[in-house]
Amino acid sequence: MAAAMQVELLGIPRQRAGVAQIEIEAATLGQLLDALAARYPSLADLVSAGPAGRLGPFVAANLNGDRFVSDPRTRLAETDRVLILSADAGG
Amino acid sequence: MPSGYHGCYLRIDVSDGSADRVPLPAGVLRRFLGGAGLGAWLLARESGACPDPLAAGAPLIFVFSPLVGSPLTTSAKFAVVSRSPLTGRINDSLASSGFALAGKRCGCDAIVVVGRAATLSVLVIDDGRVRLDAGGDLRGATCGAAEKTLRTRLGPDYKIATIGPAGERLVRYATISHDGRHAGRGGSGTVLGSKNLKAMAVRGTRYVAWAHPRELTERSRQLSKRSFGPATAKYRELGTAANLLTFNRFGALPTRNFQTGTFDAAAQVSAEQIRATHTRTRASCAACTIGCEHIYSMEDGAGTRLEYESLFALGPLCGVGDPDAVLRASKLCDELGIDTISVGGTIAFAMECVERGWLDEPWLTFGRGESVLRAIELAGRREGVGRLLAEGSRRAAEAIGHESIRFAPQVKGLEIPGYEPRALQTMALGFAVGTRGADHNRSGAYEVDFSDAVDRRRVTVDAVRHAIDTEDRAALMDSLILCKFLRGVFEDFYGEAAEMLNLVTGWDTSAAELRRAAKGIVHAKREFNRRVGWTPAEDTLPERFLQGALPNDPAAALSRERLRTVVDEYHRQRGCEEPSPAIDNASA
Repeated sequence: MAAAMQVELLGIPRQRAGVAQIEIEAATLGQLLDALAARYPSLADLVSAGPAGRLGPFVAANLNGDRFVSDPRTRLAETDRVLILSADAGG
Repeated sequence: MPSGYHGCYLRIDVSDGSADRVPLPAGVLRRFLGGAGLGAWLLARESGACPDPLAAGAPLIFVFSPLVGSPLTTSAKFAVVSRSPLTGRINDSLASSGFALAGKRCGCDAIVVVGRAATLSVLVIDDGRVRLDAGGDLRGATCGAAEKTLRTRLGPDYKIATIGPAGERLVRYATISHDGRHAGRGGSGTVLGSKNLKAMAVRGTRYVAWAHPRELTERSRQLSKRSFGPATAKYRELGTAANLLTFNRFGALPTRNFQTGTFDAAAQVSAEQIRATHTRTRASCAACTIGCEHIYSMEDGAGTRLEYESLFALGPLCGVGDPDAVLRASKLCDELGIDTISVGGTIAFAMECVERGWLDEPWLTFGRGESVLRAIELAGRREGVGRLLAEGSRRAAEAIGHESIRFAPQVKGLEIPGYEPRALQTMALGFAVGTRGADHNRSGAYEVDFSDAVDRRRVTVDAVRHAIDTEDRAALMDSLILCKFLRGVFEDFYGEAAEMLNLVTGWDTSAAELRRAAKGIVHAKREFNRRVGWTPAEDTLPERFLQGALPNDPAAALSRERLRTVVDEYHRQRGCEEPSPAIDNASA
């Protein structure tokens, strides 16, 4: 059962989507990214799967500001707040 | 001699204007490559027993690389290597563009400058011929004005690197500027100023051959095409300043001299907001396809580049939420020729000392953009309290006393970049062990913190190998030299680097050999530091970061014991206990 959860966008994902926060229904990280790419096609090249089916090298995903996750099979809870940000965090 | 190299360096004594070409052994080039790596070897060779980074005998070394002049994107870069007047340890700062191309065309792989000119001068290298021109009329000129004057005087063929007023006055974190970009950290400009040189101007006609030009051209075309992709989107679309809101969200944005990790006015000074309210243009270095530079218009119509490090240091670190004040401050630093991170860190430290009543400068308070501007001006010209600020936060703390060294934001004397160590603890390790002090360009350990490989708020020994990996990769990129903004483009960096290097040089190097070379370069830097007095106790952080959690995040706490554990493990894995012969035996 997919749950609706808050998704925060930071950096390029935010710039391209034009919004800072959205609500998405997803049971796993992979589903969330697919839904994100469908709603915002300009994010598609960023959120595509990377080597070994893991989250691609261009964005990172974090749960609740605490834990980074990269396995698309990661289960998400309705209470999760998912942060999507540019992977190259430094400068 | 391999292709891609001239096989020698130019050694210039500006005390008498003499110059020699000194051969570079092929074995040295293969092990140390160029840039920061070859610079470390040359620094060890040329330093002798010189105890003072600002002594006449101390070398200042400009190093090119085998890739400079090739069609490989981002390869037009040079390294400036010396002992740092801030840290006393090795310093290697990098900059880009035409100076690298023209410098290498002078027929050498590096330029070693020693001695001290009798009067303020301009060192001119015309196709390898050396002369000293009078530079007295340039005294006090900003970096940009000096470069413009010299370009008019010498002609457009010359590429010019200058210091600003700060370098002339030996501000310890003065930069060397070229075409608006800076070899910024550690005081390279101070060393040039100590030699009574306002500028260096280079031009030349001596090209090197490439071993496999057709394949290299095709390989370069492919790399350029990939450089337009999503791996570099951040740099093209928002620039490094995009970090600010991200770091603030993670409680990792150094604020008010690292007293906390979030800034209430972060949105006001974010890249997104500045982009929305200021006209913006983009620029790139010579031979670069990324174009990471975002130049924002200011109230007076002038434009200035803005990077995350300048933004954090002159904004949140000083409590300033006025974007126009930050833009003006960044521009002022560029004109004076001073490192934005070090001056921002030192000013923020002084502001905290004022707050505590330990420094009697009541105007110097957090949150006031005009105070930051005034403090930069004073520091850059060594006037008033600027004489103290010009020394950097470590020396300022020693002068102020009250154990203020506990919160002077530095490692080995170099001010800490915009990554809160308690919230990003693999980066904390990277800062602690850095050979040039706290540094985000020689260690990319923050990338590990922003991944699922570690718990960013509870570092363990498992993080050490990741930190070492990022350090090794940085050492290789800084020696090849390629811009680190390309790093996400490579799926197999060492393999691709070997391929590119082989196409240029004709070598048969491999990924494994380059991994060894990268480690050897880091070892060489550490060995240089050991010879000039480094001890393991230096590899640490200020007390502030080792006592209690961040106010904005109770989970972000880093104890002295935990840091010591990972630093000791780093030393063990690096093999730091024993002296290394890496610098000496490479020429054998």
